[in-house]
Amino acid sequence: MDTNFFKYLQQLEVMAFFSGFPLLYALVIVVVGYLQKKPEVKKKLISLLPYTYAVVGTLYIGLQIRNLYPNYAFENIKNSILHPFLFFWACLSISFYLPVINKRIVLSLLHSLVFFFILLKDLFINISQKSGEDNSIVRNDMKIYTDSLLLNTGVYFLTILIVFFLVPLIKKLKTLRSHKIPNRF
Amino acid sequence: MKHLNSKTLLIALLIISGYGYFVSCTRNDSLIVPLQLNPPFTASRGNNVHLPGNMTAGNTTEWKMDKSHSSVLWSTNYVGAAGLLTGRFNQFGMHDVTTAKMLTYPANGQPLKDTSWAFYESDPAKTYFNGYVQINTSNTGEPGRDTGCNVAGMNTVKIRQGIQNLSDTNLAKIKTTKVEFDPNSNGYIVTLDLTWHNKYSSTVALTPITKSIVGHLSYVTKKTVTPATGTPYDVFGLQLKFSFNCRDFEITSTSISDKIDIECNMNFNNK
Repeated sequence: MDTNFFKYLQQLEVMAFFSGFPLLYALVIVVVGYLQKKPEVKKKLISLLPYTYAVVGTLYIGLQIRNLYPNYAFENIKNSILHPFLFFWACLSISFYLPVINKRIVLSLLHSLVFFFILLKDLFINISQKSGEDNSIVRNDMKIYTDSLLLNTGVYFLTILIVFFLVPLIKKLKTLRSHKIPNRF
Repeated sequence: MKHLNSKTLLIALLIISGYGYFVSCTRNDSLIVPLQLNPPFTASRGNNVHLPGNMTAGNTTEWKMDKSHSSVLWSTNYVGAAGLLTGRFNQFGMHDVTTAKMLTYPANGQPLKDTSWAFYESDPAKTYFNGYVQINTSNTGEPGRDTGCNVAGMNTVKIRQGIQNLSDTNLAKIKTTKVEFDPNSNGYIVTLDLTWHNKYSSTVALTPITKSIVGHLSYVTKKTVTPATGTPYDVFGLQLKFSFNCRDFEITSTSISDKIDIECNMNFNNK
């Protein structure tokens, strides 16, 4: 089979992870701006966006590791990755775990726009082509885009759950335990 | 300013996404061609005309019924519920057997000339035919049945050697009243009268019953046959199928179903 097909599949794969992030980013920024919450909470909600992006990146890398299993030789990686730039760029998303980078929240948006531009490119091609021609590519793209949006939103809410509920709960439990220890003596 | 930028970004992304969804959900207009599951039948009939004339041997314009290669077959469900009972009539012909001709004929071959028919392939209004069977010659391959319950059940008499029994107790005959084109095939729709006797009684006079029935006639077109020895000759075939309700003719036997199917396969040649 033509490698173009696999190339296209890998492009869809990368889009499935990252193309939905810009919309989530814009939504969160706008919605949080309207929230009647303390500024610290708002700041925290926004600061979770790069972490969300990094988690999605981790999931993507996990999938690639699984795809390459069991042959992790450089030759195999080279032959298997048909979009080296996109792959490399997608792997860079885990760098948003680093505080130095995730402090600049807008960087996550800029990083993800690369993947959004693939969708934009296909839409542009669709506009420029004659009406009545096949729009299967846009249809595929939009399905993948929807999935990506759902994935990113899901990960974002999971991150909120962990940061706002799970971490305080663990902290509280630890505090309770540390208070109980002296009573045993 | 920052807030405005975020809003602008959101609007731009929403517009792009919206356009994408709009395009992906839009079906391309395509010409809807109605499916023609059953295309109308187009007849392909010729203009053959077949007439019996006087059935003069050697006259190639006169067509003769080839009885030894023809058949009249019947079938009905055994006891009205099981598989088919089938049989054929050994003696039959294509002659208009009028009341005056309903006699017993001392003959082994055809008692009457098979000349009461005409076939016009493209002009069914001119087509007609008559036919008859001798009821007691029904042959199921089971002599016990053919000469036993068949004779009693059909209210007829046993076969007598050297006699062709065309008497009214032993005769069923058909006579076409209308032949027209079948719009769904190259065949013809035939309306015919089937005449059979009433239930026999030694004390009451027989009153033959006539019922109008619709059947289907197929024409097997004329072909030239070249035998291994002798001169080539032409053949054609007619196949008539119809059904009737034997209770209309007061047949009370419970061994057979109400409906009896008849298939007449007639072959003709111009030898």
